[in-house]
Amino acid sequence: MTTATRTAPTTGRRRKQLFRRPGRTLAEITTVLVAAVVAFPLYWMLLTAFKPRGQIQSTDPRPWTLSPTLENFRRVFTVNDFGRYFLNSLLVAGVVVVVSLVVSFLAAVALTRFRFRGRTVLLVMILTAQMVPVEALTIPLFFLMRSVGEVAPWFGLNHLGSLVLVHLAFSLPFAIWMLRGFVAAVPAELEEAATLDGASRFRFTWQVLFPLVAPGLVAMSVLSFIHAWNDFLFAKTFIISATENQTLPLAVLVFFKPTGNDWGAIMAGSTLMTIPVLVFFVLVQRHLVSGIAGAVKE
Amino acid sequence: MTAQSTLTPQRDGAPEPSGGSVRPRRAHRGQARTAALYLTPAGIVLVSVMAYPLYQLVQLSLYEYGQAQASGGAPLEFLGLGNYTQLLGDPRFWMVLLNTCGFAAVCVAGSLAVGITLAVLASRVRQLPRALLFLAALGAWATPAVAGSTVWLFLFDQDFGLVNEVLTGIGLTGMEGFSWTYDRFVAFALVAGEVIWCSFPFVMVTMYAGIKAIPEEMVEAASLDGASTWRTARSVLLPMLRPLLVIATIQSIIWDFKIFTQIYVMTDGGGVAGQNLVLNVYAYQEAFAGSNYGLGSAIGVVMTALLLLITVIYLRVQRGTGENA
Amino acid sequence: MRFWKTAAVVVAGALLAGCGPPQVDQGASGEDKSTGTLRVWLFDEANRDPKEEVVNAAVREFEGEHEDVTVDVRYIAVDTRSERFTGAFNDPSSAPDVAEFGNTDLASYVAAGGLAELDTMLGNWPAAQDLSESVLETARTDGKTYGVPWFTGVRALYYRTDVFEELDLDPPRTLGEIAEKARRVRAARPDMYGIATGGKYTYAMMPFIWAHGGELARGEGATWESAVDEPAARAGIEAYTELLEPDVCPPEQCAQLTGTESVQAFAGGKAAMTIGGDFNRAAVDAGAAGDHYDVVPLPGTEPGEIAPAFAGGNLLGVLRSSDRSSLAKEFIRVLAGKKYQRDMYEAMGYLPTFEDVQNQVSSEDPTVRPFVETLQAGTRFVPATPAWSEIDAQEILPTMVQRIVTEGELGPATAEAARRMNDTFRE
Repeated sequence: MTTATRTAPTTGRRRKQLFRRPGRTLAEITTVLVAAVVAFPLYWMLLTAFKPRGQIQSTDPRPWTLSPTLENFRRVFTVNDFGRYFLNSLLVAGVVVVVSLVVSFLAAVALTRFRFRGRTVLLVMILTAQMVPVEALTIPLFFLMRSVGEVAPWFGLNHLGSLVLVHLAFSLPFAIWMLRGFVAAVPAELEEAATLDGASRFRFTWQVLFPLVAPGLVAMSVLSFIHAWNDFLFAKTFIISATENQTLPLAVLVFFKPTGNDWGAIMAGSTLMTIPVLVFFVLVQRHLVSGIAGAVKE
Repeated sequence: MTAQSTLTPQRDGAPEPSGGSVRPRRAHRGQARTAALYLTPAGIVLVSVMAYPLYQLVQLSLYEYGQAQASGGAPLEFLGLGNYTQLLGDPRFWMVLLNTCGFAAVCVAGSLAVGITLAVLASRVRQLPRALLFLAALGAWATPAVAGSTVWLFLFDQDFGLVNEVLTGIGLTGMEGFSWTYDRFVAFALVAGEVIWCSFPFVMVTMYAGIKAIPEEMVEAASLDGASTWRTARSVLLPMLRPLLVIATIQSIIWDFKIFTQIYVMTDGGGVAGQNLVLNVYAYQEAFAGSNYGLGSAIGVVMTALLLLITVIYLRVQRGTGENA
Repeated sequence: MRFWKTAAVVVAGALLAGCGPPQVDQGASGEDKSTGTLRVWLFDEANRDPKEEVVNAAVREFEGEHEDVTVDVRYIAVDTRSERFTGAFNDPSSAPDVAEFGNTDLASYVAAGGLAELDTMLGNWPAAQDLSESVLETARTDGKTYGVPWFTGVRALYYRTDVFEELDLDPPRTLGEIAEKARRVRAARPDMYGIATGGKYTYAMMPFIWAHGGELARGEGATWESAVDEPAARAGIEAYTELLEPDVCPPEQCAQLTGTESVQAFAGGKAAMTIGGDFNRAAVDAGAAGDHYDVVPLPGTEPGEIAPAFAGGNLLGVLRSSDRSSLAKEFIRVLAGKKYQRDMYEAMGYLPTFEDVQNQVSSEDPTVRPFVETLQAGTRFVPATPAWSEIDAQEILPTMVQRIVTEGELGPATAEAARRMNDTFRE
């Protein structure tokens, strides 16, 4: 993020151009400044995570540090078992992505490439399901998971399985809706050609269709991942006492203490929580934009 | 309920071919069967973890359902609309409702304004600055709500925050030790700032894609005709962007109306005297802190209904103006 | 379309006929294992280390006596206890076997069906004879005992001797003088709070109400009526909220303070006074103010009087869902026994619940005197009804105090609090 400020002055390529298009230069300067402001909180988080304690608890905060340290990270990993929470978060989000990928792809194929009665009703239902504020379902879901836990402890309260279940359900409607657009965009002739070549419908679906909708799948996966990774409410509600099954967002809050907040550790934890999503995001940003645009156009 | 419809093709077996299908009846039946098979996993998950809880939410809201009832220490008591009358008669509820609507409105308007402005800006600059802006925006977008909240809290911390330090530094001595979470509106503004920060990128990216999709010639043709920038924007760009704008607005409404994490983390569970409560946090506090699951569910029902209502109204209005234009 | 109609009718019928919301059976587990892991929940404290040391010693002793038993102690935050216990009652498999809880929560935990009765255990435990009867009363509801008193908590007034001396002040002799002296301290030392009390520190407010002749609520058995809107209670509340003003303890900082945080502010040297319990002494001793403080009973409205204190205290109980209840009871006998109560007193200042141990420590240790004096002057308790826990969890009284502080008006806030309390009582 620091690059934003550093590369600021390298805008206009030629002086001539610069004079000819003062409006654009102004726009570009503004753009870079805005980028710097938007990125600043992230820079501050990263910086604080590496600052020694004395410089954090200072009434004279500086936007740099000359003595970076890993002390804060060490604290979150040793005092608080962050490695474990990181893996927990990864596990929940990972399982949600993989399962929702398969499930929503199947559903999207069924809804676009097959004709059957009730299809329109189903589509409307899926559209409506996206409008349901899932947070409002916390209370019934809490009791549902309680009952589930009596039969299958892994999916009950205090276990990561309960989080997987809810995030899977919440990511499906949008994922199906989004993928539908991609599947529909694959020309029907392709399927007919494949069928003429003797490919079974099953093979067509997995060997031809699946790769063709990859951009949509990527975008969908990123959204499901983020949804599950960022969740705070359900993790807070479902993981009641099993601290070993906590996920990152909750673990960070441990450092807010009545005796004074440990900002260094909070920022180190927040950094750890942000990095995977950030990397993921930047890697797939092109697909993400086209994916959303695709879903939106539909 | 979705279960029934999901299973339909399987159960009623022989759907008649609809209209001009070229395929024989037989293939059609096979299609329905495969479709049912493909839809089953999604159906099972959605029915059990979404439709059923939705039904149970309504059911719980009709009962006196506290901890004693939930853990079997007391018999269930059917209240009918009792929880709702209690809720509607409580001035606190109305305050929370007002908070929620006002807060969501500010966040939606803010995200849209910032997102659209920056999308337009991005479409007019060369690649490097645009890439920087997108990178920064993706960063803000990617930041988990909890991480974003903690960073903003720290930036605005009353003792160690950079913002107070800078403001004091430029001569506003009154800002020394200023608490950004004490006054109701200041606290809301702070949270709204964080929410807009992490939700404008979605609007920006969507609108940018939309602007890029408009053929260059179209804009040029309009300007050759002598139309002013404003008129070009209004009569050429806006109609083309409208569908995207609708999506971005609805998404923002849905997101901002049901904010939980930011309020919970940044105002410490709803602020001084609960002045920063929004519906979601209120429902959580009633249910899980106050053990009033029935009342909490009633709040959830109200919120769901309200959200659906707002979305429907918005869609109606949009369609209406869209047709007139 | 006929199919759809039929389907709709079938679904609707099934849903309506279906049973109501789920209820979990809290019934005691049939099992009583004598090996495995015994799970224990204790409260976190401002300075937990000494508490943890004593607990660890007790755990070692217990594990030494029992083969193949490990004790897993978790420390939970007092502020979030309601969510934790709710969770434990809802999901017996995650519940602890033994838990520490405040005596104010007893009635509601029992109503939720979460606690096991301990009368037989107390009957078979010779040492139980020496438990103070008045303290044991706070562990009972409907004539049955559900907890073993672990320590008694009463609060008194902590003040900084060095600051008071420097400004030539005497300790306050009336509640009114507290505000007056706090103002003088803050005027002279703007970096300090005159007194650290918080909007969320309900137990600090209660003595103000009682000393002014007010009540939290009136009634008995099943019918209670809030009294916080009555003139006497309002006078007390007004006196308390006077402490949450910019010239005493600025509301920007203090409106959100809990009891623990208030004491922590004092211990850290940020306040000239605070209201703290006997159980807070270890935390204060360990802080920056450790060498320069003294404690006096919280005065009443007139010189020479002592404001009625809240008879706090924590109990150790066995959860009904425990499948190691015999082990759990044996562990309580060790941890709440005379030996470790004494150790806990020395480590944390927790006032023992055994009369003989109580007398012993107060004769040996002068620092405990203000607390014993407060105890002897008479203590009060919160309304003994399951509704109290809910009133507490909904933060009705803290919200009231915070509203008064932010809005500067007493009437609407006390009226609303009374209404909300009554709503809860009547449920």
